[in-house]
Order: sequence, then structure tokens, then C-alpha cells
Amino acid sequence: MAERLITDIGGMPDGEVPRPDVPMLFWEKHMIATFNVLRDKGVFNLDELRRSVEGMAPEAYKKSTFYGRRLDGMTDLLVEKGVIDREELAARTAEILRAGTRDHG
Amino acid sequence: MTDHTEHDHPHDHAHPHDHDHTHPHQHGRSPHPTREDDDVALGYHEAKFLALKSMLIEQGLLTADEIRRRQEANERATPHQGARMVAKAWVDPAFKGRMLEDGKAAARELGIEVTEAELMVIENTPDCHNLIVCTLCSCYPRSLLGEPPSWYVSKAYRSRAVREPRKVLREFGLDIPQSVEVRVHDSNADLRYIVLPLRPAGTEGLSEAELAALVSRDCLVGAALPGR
Amino acid sequence: MADASPSFALGDRVRIVDLGKAGHVRTPFYAREKVGVVDHVCGAFENPEERAYGREGGRRVPLYRVRLMQRDLWPDYEGAPNDSLVLEIYHHWLRPAREQEASR
Repeated sequence: MAERLITDIGGMPDGEVPRPDVPMLFWEKHMIATFNVLRDKGVFNLDELRRSVEGMAPEAYKKSTFYGRRLDGMTDLLVEKGVIDREELAARTAEILRAGTRDHG
Repeated sequence: MTDHTEHDHPHDHAHPHDHDHTHPHQHGRSPHPTREDDDVALGYHEAKFLALKSMLIEQGLLTADEIRRRQEANERATPHQGARMVAKAWVDPAFKGRMLEDGKAAARELGIEVTEAELMVIENTPDCHNLIVCTLCSCYPRSLLGEPPSWYVSKAYRSRAVREPRKVLREFGLDIPQSVEVRVHDSNADLRYIVLPLRPAGTEGLSEAELAALVSRDCLVGAALPGR
Repeated sequence: MADASPSFALGDRVRIVDLGKAGHVRTPFYAREKVGVVDHVCGAFENPEERAYGREGGRRVPLYRVRLMQRDLWPDYEGAPNDSLVLEIYHHWLRPAREQEASR
């Protein structure tokens, strides 16, 4: 008997639906556009992205945000496909956080 | 294609958009696409995205321009496009028939290009109120309406909309009578959905544009009724 | 897995079976072993269970919208007795159901 996917939450108990609309941040819009471009170029497909998100650890999934999941699923998939190197991504991420400046140029 | 390099500076949120630019501002959309989130601290995921983007560009997999152009194209999809389809269906029964038969083709009649596999329009009737959800992820007709509202992708909505839709609708201020069926549509595979709400009473004199203004994004998912 | 059973038609009574399949599937647990009726015949689509692993361009699988009664899905359902739910199920997850067959 296969395990239920972490994303398969239909029917599970939960609290009130968070109503106030949270507008998209600038980086989130760019991230979605990046996903679209990569998908259109055939680097991956939507089903692979979903499958990648489903592979998250259950505790990580519970604490995740929607756009955070999208990004993490995408980077995991790109690492899996050998497109990017995980350590290099982590190092560059740490450096950007250390520098504290955003450069969306 | 519009060149946005002159806008690559942080905007003050308090200022209205008095720039001269040629790309259209969609009705009800969030601010200018090159506004940076200066009042939001740089967090882990944004930093990770910036790192990823630089790596992909260095590898020649894509360019910053391709990302920017796609982001602009994404901005053209808004709930107003769905509202236009609803308004036209309300005034034109033949269009409504075509729309219920093939949502993508009907959208194309209005110059709207839907890129998902299929668009199914679900009609509310006096006997049936419809509600759309994607329990497994966040499927939503993005090429028509843009990105879904944050509540739609929340875990609370995804888990509860299928199990206790009437309770969820009450949280949205909608109390559907017991005599009216509540039908939930889980968008779990290839189709994407919008709800065609019932035309509100007393709107006979309104133009198509005025009717479209009554239809909010939440109406198109079934979480609101038009005109309220 | 090849499935040579005939297509389902609008109005057919069907059971959404639990194939016990691991990995990426689009059949939610809440609908498994439930009996409903084919509400719409959607046409054939590439199988996401294949696409999710990079296997694209495979044989297309018929997709159906299946309508289930909420009172059959949730033992404690609090809404109206004729409230229903419709979701999309691929052909290989469906079996014909007899008139007397009930959701499990």
C-alpha cells in the first residue's frame, strides 16, 4: 500500500482559511517567470516540478510557504538533472545573504 | 517591446504611478513590475533565487531579458479577463453556449490566449453553487487570471474546501441555503476551471464593461457572489 | 501499465480504485475506493505518472471527471444531502461499479 503524498491534503483538518490577500513580492514574480522560461525551454516539465515538491520532508512541507516550495522544488529538480551544483548554489546564497543587497538587474 | 531599463530604481510606495510608460496597467493588479521590495528584508528564499538566477544566466540557459519579458507577459493575465468572459456570457446567450462548450475557444474570441490544456467554465444555477479548489497543489487558470490569491494556495483552503465547503464559504461571508447544492471541483489533473456566476438581479441596464466590474477574482472561484 | 479495458461513457457508474502505486500520482486519497458517476469525458492526456519522471510523449490516457456524493466521501459530512464533488481521474484508476456497489 503506497504512502500518501505530503501534498495530498484534501480532507485533512485545518484552521481558518487565511483571508487577507498577500500580494506577490517582486522576487516571487521573477521566480515564477524563471520557472515559465525554463519550462518553455524544455529543461523540465510541470509534473516533474510537482514530483520534486512531493519529495520534500513532511516537516519541511508543513512549515513551507507556497513560493518557497516552488523555488525549492525547482532548485532540487535542477540539481537532480545536473543543471546546477547544490554546493555552489548554497555558497552563492550565503554570500548574497551576507552582503545583504538584492540585485535584480 | 517596451524597454524598462529606465524603471530600474526603487519606487517609493507612497507615490502614484505618474511615469510615462507604454505597458498597460491591468485593472486591480499589484504595483509596477520593476518595483523592488525595499521594505521587505532580504530573506533566504529571495537570496536563493538571486543565486539561482545568476547561475542560470552565467550558464547561458536563459537571459535576464527573457525572464523580464516573460514576467511582463504574465502580468497581462488578470481576473479582469475572466470578468470580461462572464459579462459577455451574461449578455450574449450564444457566446455563453460556446463558452460552456469550450472555454479556451471562447476566450480566444475575446483576444485572450489560454495556454493550459483546457478551460472548463462551470455555470452556477439557482440549484447549484460551484466552488473550485486544487487539493494537491495550486492548479488555477493562470494564463487567464494571473496568479491565484494567497488564500487559494493555502493549506487550510486546499484541505477543507473539499470536506466542509459550506463552512469555508461562510468564512467568506457566503451562506448557501440547504436547498441549493454546493458542488466542489477539485482541479487535480489537466483541466482548469472558472465559475460562471449567476447574473445579479437589477443589472438589466448595465453595459458589458459595467457588468464585468461586478465580477471579482473570488467570484470566478466560487468564493464570492458578483456585485458584493 | 497497459490498460485495454473499454472507455467509460457519460453516466457510467465507476469505482476509483486504490492502485497502491508509489510516487507521483494525481488520485487523491480521499477519493480512493469511492463510487461515483462519470460526469464528463475529457479526452486523452499524457500520463503525469510518466511525465513526472521525464518520460514525455508517451501513450495518452483517457481522463474523466467523476462525480461523487459528499455524504459518501465523509462520514461526518455536515452539508446538504445532495452536495457533491467532481474530480478528474485517469482511466487506469477506474473500474466499472455495479448498481449496488457502495463507496468503502
